[in-house]
Amino acid sequence: MSGATTAVYLARRAAQKERVRILYRCALKDTLNWAVHRHIFYQDASDLREKFEANKHVEDLDTIDKMIAAGEATYDKWRHPDPYIVPWAPGGSKFTRNPFPPSGIEIVYDYGREEND
Amino acid sequence: MALRATVLRHIRLPVQTLTAIGSRPQPQWSFLRLFSSHDDHLTKEEVIDRVLDVVKSFPKVDRSRVTPDVHFQKYLGLDSLDNVEIVMALEEEFKLEIPDKEADKIDSCNLAIEYIYNHPMAG
Repeated sequence: MSGATTAVYLARRAAQKERVRILYRCALKDTLNWAVHRHIFYQDASDLREKFEANKHVEDLDTIDKMIAAGEATYDKWRHPDPYIVPWAPGGSKFTRNPFPPSGIEIVYDYGREEND
Repeated sequence: MALRATVLRHIRLPVQTLTAIGSRPQPQWSFLRLFSSHDDHLTKEEVIDRVLDVVKSFPKVDRSRVTPDVHFQKYLGLDSLDNVEIVMALEEEFKLEIPDKEADKIDSCNLAIEYIYNHPMAG
């Protein structure tokens, strides 16, 4: 029994750790969106880190799942309506601004020369 | 034109043979600014320098231990959350947007340098 459950346990823990990392990443980006000035961002980022570190030692899988769900709910609640997205990324201002022309179309550089010249 | 040709024929420049180091095209282009963004990719040395600068300026990192192939968690003793912070700092440095799944996999300087070097939009 213990062999199978440790593999399952470790798989679940690994999935949870990945969720926590992605949640921390999204929350940090969101903090930067809200706190534009760097000194305020540093303060808020430390507070966020403290919140994550306080629950670091929890071992029970279900409690961890509940805490991650609660964290994701808080993140959804506090999401910035106009986040900073890098311009060329989807959602940014430069996304699909200059798409590639379809293949086979090219510019003919004849400078207006006509056939009867 | 004829005067120019005769003048040029009489001016002799010393022939410069290639030195023993060999021809190195890379440093010659360092002063050439490429204004088109199509061919303007970062060189590998530039990527490595900037990535190492970002990692060294992280407060929890010991500066002398950082090398281009260092693993963040095993070698520098950082946390997984510190890993996330370093990846975010690299995103800000190179003006990239790394998707969450990819960002999770970046664990060491090696992977970071490879990812950034191969990214088409790395600034």
